[in-house]
Amino acid sequence: MKEFYQNINDALNMLNGLENDLNIRHFTPNELKVFYTIITRSAFNQHGSNITEIVENSGMSRSTVYKTLKKLSTEGIIDINQSQDDGRESLIILNSLAK
Amino acid sequence: MKNFLTVSLTTFVFSSALWIIWSFFILHFEASPNWLGSFFYLPHAARVVCIVYFGWRAVPALFLAELWGPYFDIFVISTYINLVPTVLSVLSVPLALQTLNIFDFHLGNTKASPLNKRNYKHIALITLVSAIYNSLLVNLAVSNLELSSQEVGINQVIRFFIGDILGTAVVLCTLAFMLNPILRNKS
Repeated sequence: MKEFYQNINDALNMLNGLENDLNIRHFTPNELKVFYTIITRSAFNQHGSNITEIVENSGMSRSTVYKTLKKLSTEGIIDINQSQDDGRESLIILNSLAK
Repeated sequence: MKNFLTVSLTTFVFSSALWIIWSFFILHFEASPNWLGSFFYLPHAARVVCIVYFGWRAVPALFLAELWGPYFDIFVISTYINLVPTVLSVLSVPLALQTLNIFDFHLGNTKASPLNKRNYKHIALITLVSAIYNSLLVNLAVSNLELSSQEVGINQVIRFFIGDILGTAVVLCTLAFMLNPILRNKS
């Protein structure tokens, strides 16, 4: 059984390196959840998701999502843009997709 | 053959889970499985990860998991010919490892190993080589055994190749996100 756990440990070490290079190590669980939701949404809509979609898909409260988005935006991980169709709506987009 | 049962069970569950998730997305977002589904071919990640970390012992469980995919019916003898591409798909990763081995890139888990199991960039190389084998060998078999109603062209080979790489990348990144709390406690 020791060898099996050693193999699992090797796999976790590999994922650890990937996580380091993705620069998500310092994320809190809430930030990770919001970030993961934005990535999942980006797969379906490259123009960005609105805040309501992120609240609904992350299962977190609106105020927590707002605070988290603000922090991610400050760190330059996401961009918050005004929607061209509806000026009252903000679209969240990953910074790598915004460029 | 130590831990064979544990390895087989882990491999079968992991591979089957990826098959189910992949089929779910195919059925929900696509009327006919073609470009989008093939572009994110998640089951290839199970082949790479399980064979790299568990070795040859993972092959039977991977094969079984692929059998209960959508293309095989145990009661229809004529579908047994479909076993050939399945076997080739599963063997693409050991073939990649053997090829790298021939070029003196031996797989190990120490820093000195030319191919280190703990380095995701090395896993990416294995994925790349195995994707080449998988896309070429499977499409060659499908074409020669006339298993596909459509003509197999270079675009299908490229689609398989890209799909295997992107699918594996999606699975590994998702695992890194999901296991973030465990990885954080670990280091």
